[in-house]
Amino acid sequence: MEIPYVVTPRKDTGLFNSKIAIWLFLASEVMLFGGFLSAYVFLRLGADYPWPERTLPVLPGLINTFVLIGSSITVVFAWASLKLRDWRKFQLFMGITVGCAMIFMVLKGIEYNAKLHHQALKLKDYSVVEGHLGVESEDGKPVLNHKGSTIEENLIFVEASKLTFDTVRFYKPWVEELLAQAEHHHSKVALAADVTAITKVGQSAEIIAKAGEPLSVELLNRLQAVHLAARSHNAANRTEALRAEWVTAKAANPGKKDWQIASGVNIDTAALAPTLLGEISTVPFSVDPPAKLDFHPRDIKAAEGQSRLRDDTVIDGKLLASPMVFHNIDAIDFQHLVMKAKEKGIDPEVAIENSWLMKNSAFVREAWAWHQGEVKKLSAELLKAHGVGKDGKPRYTPTHKELYRIGWKDLAKKAEDDGRTKLSGVDAAKEEFFGPNYKARGDETFPGLSVPREQVGFASKFTPAWNTYYAIYFAITGLHGLHVIGGALVLAYYLFFGKKMYLSDPEWLANRVEIGGLFWHFVDLVWIFVFPILYLM
Amino acid sequence: MSSHSTAPAGHDAHHDEHHHDPGFIQKWIFSTDHKMIGLQYGITALLFLAFGFYLMMVMRWSIAYPHQPLPEWMGWVFTDGWKARWLQDGKVTGETYNMFGAMHGTIMVFLGIVPLGFGAFGNYVTPLQIGAPDMAFPRLNMASYWIYLLGGLIMCASFFFESGAAKSGWTNYSPLAGFADGQVVNQWLAGQTQWLIGLVFLITSSLLGSVNFITTIINLRVRGMTWMRMPFFVWAMLVTGFLLLLAFPPLEAAGIMQLMDRVTHSSFFMPSGLFTKSEGLADLSGGGSPLLFQHLFWFLGHPEVYVLLLPAFACVSEIIPANSRKPLWGYKSMVYSVLLLGFLSFVVWAHHMYMTGMGAAVSTFFQTTTVLISVPSVVIITAMLISLWGGSIRFTTPMMWACAFIPMFGIGGLTGLPLAFNLADLHLHDTYYVIGHFHYVVAPGILFGFFAGIHHWYPKITGRYMGKTLNHLHFWPSLICMNLIFFPMLVQGMAGFHRRWYNGGDAYLSKAADSVNIFGNTVVQHIDMNIIMSMGAWTMALFQIPFIINLFTAWKFGKKAEGDNPWHATTLEWATPTPPGHGNFLKEPVTYRGPYEYSRPNCDADFLPQWTEPKHLDSSEKPTGSH
Repeated sequence: MEIPYVVTPRKDTGLFNSKIAIWLFLASEVMLFGGFLSAYVFLRLGADYPWPERTLPVLPGLINTFVLIGSSITVVFAWASLKLRDWRKFQLFMGITVGCAMIFMVLKGIEYNAKLHHQALKLKDYSVVEGHLGVESEDGKPVLNHKGSTIEENLIFVEASKLTFDTVRFYKPWVEELLAQAEHHHSKVALAADVTAITKVGQSAEIIAKAGEPLSVELLNRLQAVHLAARSHNAANRTEALRAEWVTAKAANPGKKDWQIASGVNIDTAALAPTLLGEISTVPFSVDPPAKLDFHPRDIKAAEGQSRLRDDTVIDGKLLASPMVFHNIDAIDFQHLVMKAKEKGIDPEVAIENSWLMKNSAFVREAWAWHQGEVKKLSAELLKAHGVGKDGKPRYTPTHKELYRIGWKDLAKKAEDDGRTKLSGVDAAKEEFFGPNYKARGDETFPGLSVPREQVGFASKFTPAWNTYYAIYFAITGLHGLHVIGGALVLAYYLFFGKKMYLSDPEWLANRVEIGGLFWHFVDLVWIFVFPILYLM
Repeated sequence: MSSHSTAPAGHDAHHDEHHHDPGFIQKWIFSTDHKMIGLQYGITALLFLAFGFYLMMVMRWSIAYPHQPLPEWMGWVFTDGWKARWLQDGKVTGETYNMFGAMHGTIMVFLGIVPLGFGAFGNYVTPLQIGAPDMAFPRLNMASYWIYLLGGLIMCASFFFESGAAKSGWTNYSPLAGFADGQVVNQWLAGQTQWLIGLVFLITSSLLGSVNFITTIINLRVRGMTWMRMPFFVWAMLVTGFLLLLAFPPLEAAGIMQLMDRVTHSSFFMPSGLFTKSEGLADLSGGGSPLLFQHLFWFLGHPEVYVLLLPAFACVSEIIPANSRKPLWGYKSMVYSVLLLGFLSFVVWAHHMYMTGMGAAVSTFFQTTTVLISVPSVVIITAMLISLWGGSIRFTTPMMWACAFIPMFGIGGLTGLPLAFNLADLHLHDTYYVIGHFHYVVAPGILFGFFAGIHHWYPKITGRYMGKTLNHLHFWPSLICMNLIFFPMLVQGMAGFHRRWYNGGDAYLSKAADSVNIFGNTVVQHIDMNIIMSMGAWTMALFQIPFIINLFTAWKFGKKAEGDNPWHATTLEWATPTPPGHGNFLKEPVTYRGPYEYSRPNCDADFLPQWTEPKHLDSSEKPTGSH
């Protein structure tokens, strides 16, 4: 027996197998995206910070919307062409469909790329600055790390004199990184003292590694092997000893329950000691001369005197000044600060005046003063356009965002007011896709800012880590993007490898394209929901 | 096979494969035959079940004897290095207990019971019962199995990593699960991350499986197999398919979000201001919602309970009529009940969350729906019970298990009612009562149903019966031990024993002496039950050996089954040759009547199979439905 209804529909259901399957699959997909959209609603309603509204560039999103709608139409034409047995037309329309998918992904890629290189920083007082970090440089030239790439000015510096590795947990790439950095500073990392351990029961301790042996992954691996062997041996011995203790204890206390005698059942450590091997759980290395090592903030728990990496490597040494240096700032945002101030019953204006940014940056003060003027103008315009309500108050007032956020477009306008560069035409449109053009607008428009480490509350690129809005944005659009890629690959497969099937069984190919087209419509439909929710609301 | 083909040549993707004998690899490993895939699912699931059982045995040692080293008869499985890492002087630590607990639940639910019920029984029996040559998409079916295996192995591989396997319970609640294994630099090698990756694989596998099942049942029913002539088994599989199809994706969404929380440091489920002893103030944006994870998890979690249960219902409802020689009582009510059950299972999820502070109105809603869902369940179980009434019952090996299923599942179901009421749940939440309740459903309930199924279809798969003596050796001790393990849990739970105590309440004993803490006394009074339960668990493990021996030896040495329909059953799987070849039926069968025509008056035999051509076509036996 063959599997029926692969090509022809079953009479009573009116469907061929894969058509049922795709509808079921889409039902499942609805639940998947439904899960994400419910999460969006949940997160937005429960947000305890100012939800970023309309922060994404609308123009690329809008273009993408029409690109996808267009491709949904052409995929139907492609299917119809197959039904009409017109291979050339099928190729044309399917080609356009796949092309649209590529345009969509390119625009999406540009959008993502701009986010992933854009830095945000929330200070301890909840004011927020956004912009681009500078790169570490010496004598005007950028410093390169051992991989040959530039280093952003967001590092923790420690003048390390001693490194103590955990022999089990040390992370190989980090050891290599530390070595490379020390080498760069012409420092030697070597064993601080002889490492000795008993490796055979009953013998005295022997030297595993001599003081002065340089740090290497091989050395750590060797010590790890000794340590693990000893650990296994010792654990087995201790287990045996405890077991024996329990046998004696049970015999000595007949009828007693475990918990009644447990406190008295202990391993005789002194008796056990001679049967144990030497464990080497940590090894100290000296750094000579002490070297200035840098670490990504997330990898290190920095503290004065002694810091700890996530793999339990302990670094002894002085914590150096490690400011976070913006080369260009392109937004100043007091929304969260104001929200927190209101929670505490503090006047927002006072809170802003007292913020670290206002106290330490002339540019921020200047920008804020300019912004106050703009807000006044806006209020006047709103009053003029909409008048006052029955209660005598203006019908429309500036939004929270308009009141307390100075975005890059505001800063650009301020610069234009001050008589600096004005961009137009292609350059202005390009900014809609790639973000502010620092080069053309200059450092006066988007000046630098150095924030001392102790003022840094939470810093991140505009990645899912920055806040739950960006998290859900990346999750939904990322998943949608994967669907676009997946769908386009399937459709491209029909386009480029469908000819053989077209010649042998065109109806079957048409069915397949219909299935692919149904999926493609779904992908389009998801975007129709996603675009307004994430870009416009 | 193509000699029986009815479809035009060239329309079937497998057309070419059928002409030559497939090699060993294609026949046994990368098979696209639903029966072989069913067996692969079954064997893999049984292995995972055994592993999950083993984890539980270690946990039971920690509960009963928290001060003593793990004995050698359990500990020999581990290497010395592993023991040195995870045991403290040979004793099970809290961390290890949590790891085993999380993986016990995960393995039993996702890698054991679901694949056994839906993957194995569903795959083997469903196409046979509707007269289909195979699943609608055989290669998807194969992919489903392999993705499942891969997901399971990814999850279990983490036992051997430095971080160990996942430790945050099978429910994997954030923010606890978000922090677990956070110290691991390469997050892709952390057990907690691997759990999520494995889960995404399992969801993909079940998606492929459920699409395949539903399509098969809708479109591949043979001539005359109208909806109301489908065996109850197929109905149950259809509903299970829909549950998997629609309930799993929200968990996949949650899994992806939690994965992002781990590797991209997002805060979907991490609230603001999280502070831990080891990390201090978490370096996270915060602003997320731990409650969101629970909602998404239980949106799957509750339908999942019925994904576990319905295949067991399915097996038992086939076995009872065949062995009581009576039609299944109330077949139509059962069908409508199972559909209602499926629907209602989507609107009860938050009864797992009464204690989260989500509000009285929400709790009341979910309490109402939860009480409602007991109605269709009780209809089904009552119909099974009445099906026994007045029958001429044959206590064959599958029938013993099926008969034990009904009261055991009954206890499990009824003990659930107090948990449905949010007032009673305040007291019982997260106690051993909950553990006792759902283990009564899953272990002596669902698993007994599956043992029944294995015994029932074994003669079809191998042509031989499983041994009776070995079955007695398996059945009776299992029945006794199951109650020995789970009944005391109900008692302990009502006394307030928390489900996550790795030392079984030992920490509270010192409090008993000072007479200030009355809870200490409660613990003293009930803590010795731990030993009874643990003994029961280990004894039960011992008595699974007869089953394993039976399963493998009967294949070669069991009593030969008489003919293709040894139980004198009526459904279509018994119309196939034994064992059924690729393509299942020698000749396309036709269905003339309902699935349970036993002891029909004016009939020579006491059963009238669905495929037997009637002597005189009366109106009720026309092979309706198109082809």
